Amino acid sequence: MEKTHTVYSTKTKIIRGFLTLFLVVVAFFTLYPLVYIVLGSFKANAELLKGGTRLLPETFILDNYKEAWEKANFARYTLNSVIISVGVMVVTLVATSMAGYVFARKNFRGKELLYSLFVAFMFVNVGSVTLRPLFELAVKVKMNTSLISVILISAGTGQATYIFLVRGFMNTISRELDDAAKIDGCTFFQIYYKIILPLLKPILATICLLSFRTGWNEYIMPLVFTMSNEKMRPLTVGVTMLKNSGDGTAAWNLMFAGATISIIPIVLIYMFTSKQFMNGMTAGAVKG
Amino acid sequence: MGKKQTHTFSEKLARARNRGDFAAFFMMLPAVFLLIVMSIYPFFWLFRYICYDYNGFKAYFTGSRNFMRMLEDQTFWRSVLHTFEYAGMKLVVVIPLSLLLAVLLNQKLKGTGLFRGIYFMPTVISAAIYSLIFGFIFAVYNGVLNASLKGLGWITEPIDWLGDPKVVMISVVIVAVWGGFGNYMILFISGMTSISEEIYESSKIDGATETQTFFHITLPMLSPVLKVILMLAITTAFKDYQSIIVMTDGGPNNRSHVMFSYIYKLIFSSSTTPQIGYATMLSVVAALIIGIITAVYMFVARKLDDVI
Repeated sequence: MEKTHTVYSTKTKIIRGFLTLFLVVVAFFTLYPLVYIVLGSFKANAELLKGGTRLLPETFILDNYKEAWEKANFARYTLNSVIISVGVMVVTLVATSMAGYVFARKNFRGKELLYSLFVAFMFVNVGSVTLRPLFELAVKVKMNTSLISVILISAGTGQATYIFLVRGFMNTISRELDDAAKIDGCTFFQIYYKIILPLLKPILATICLLSFRTGWNEYIMPLVFTMSNEKMRPLTVGVTMLKNSGDGTAAWNLMFAGATISIIPIVLIYMFTSKQFMNGMTAGAVKG
Repeated sequence: MGKKQTHTFSEKLARARNRGDFAAFFMMLPAVFLLIVMSIYPFFWLFRYICYDYNGFKAYFTGSRNFMRMLEDQTFWRSVLHTFEYAGMKLVVVIPLSLLLAVLLNQKLKGTGLFRGIYFMPTVISAAIYSLIFGFIFAVYNGVLNASLKGLGWITEPIDWLGDPKVVMISVVIVAVWGGFGNYMILFISGMTSISEEIYESSKIDGATETQTFFHITLPMLSPVLKVILMLAITTAFKDYQSIIVMTDGGPNNRSHVMFSYIYKLIFSSSTTPQIGYATMLSVVAALIIGIITAVYMFVARKLDDVI
């Protein structure tokens, strides 16, 4: 490579050294809170409340997890988080892949108007106030005690970007494939199901990741929907609720364990799919 | 479509079916249903209660009283100022930082992938959870930040990061920067990869230093992408409130309330009766403020385009 031929002057070397140091320092501050919480979750509560700068626990204990899992309902919270994120993922995949396909392959009156409605409401943001009518609606159709409403809201408010991604990806798939399938007797839906869907795999994988993450990290909306229904809470809500409960200081160990349970799965997924995560985020943001 | 009038209704139906019109309709249905119910309906619902006093059970028409109350609502206008303060501080730190990191990591050197991976990691974690974690780090007596600063001998008295009105905004911004810089870095990098290698090489041959290359090549070539990213960053900064709800709940003494956290408390606070009508009024004003900011930004960005 050309790099091996380049001769750097001492000045450049020093600058490069400083820059690398800078990168390492930023990386340290990025990782520190995560390492701190994960290692802290193995500390005894007394040690946590004492404070100090020591990162490693004096004695490694698993009691926090045991207590969180058995006494503090975290098994239920984790299950709810899984249900919500998988639900959001499935609903998003189904709704956006079909809509993106229709947008790319079908001409109908008002198509671009409908499309711009999707895009426009992605940008309209009036904050948490929109949760109020949705909550009242859920009460009306008796869905306020079910996670389905949480799933549908999360999927619904996030779908525009994904429809956009699918539509864009569809344009790279040759229309001749559609025509050939049509001649072979495939209906419009069969073309989608048998031909297009397998070809959409790369973009669907990205959508899987991003929508799963959205569902897993959702906070304000499930908080509002589970105010009076503790059993429905996902991890994010369950853990932060401990902070405001009366014995907040006494429950540091539980919150550490809970936060770790919430972080680890998504970070693990991220570690194996970081490229797709980054590409997905940029595709959605810059091109969207 | 209706060129020949001889087509009967059933013929038309059969043709539409053949073209897959019905299939298309039903395939579009889930997304359109979600759009209408989750986005469009709540938006128009807002305007229904704007002139009402609504506590969740009963709504009373109060005419312009919500508006008058807003004009006199010190807490709200202070929260508007705090929003600008928060957004300004966040942007001033997060944009240069992520741009600098993007420039450094855009080179094809060993280890850049690892750094990118680390910096982007906060983006995949829930804002609620990392705000909670920073709550522990910022804790006054047993928090690790005060312990570290004391250990280094930089402070003698513990700082109340989230309870001192003078410091709380800085703490909130630190958390926002931690959670956001990786995202903007990746966006910048993806913008930079579209700049061709040849330009860099020819500038190298011409003897340009790295700083010169940045200001005369990278930045101008990046400007279209930069504008989009800035716009995204600005609107996001003005809309943030989740971390604040988790960390300070708007306190101390409303010092860290931004517009949307204040509105959230008005509707969903468990300690007072919900003031939904008034909150819809404030939401519309908040959305207008953000709209104006966006418009001003777009105007300025275009003007700058003409100058450069």
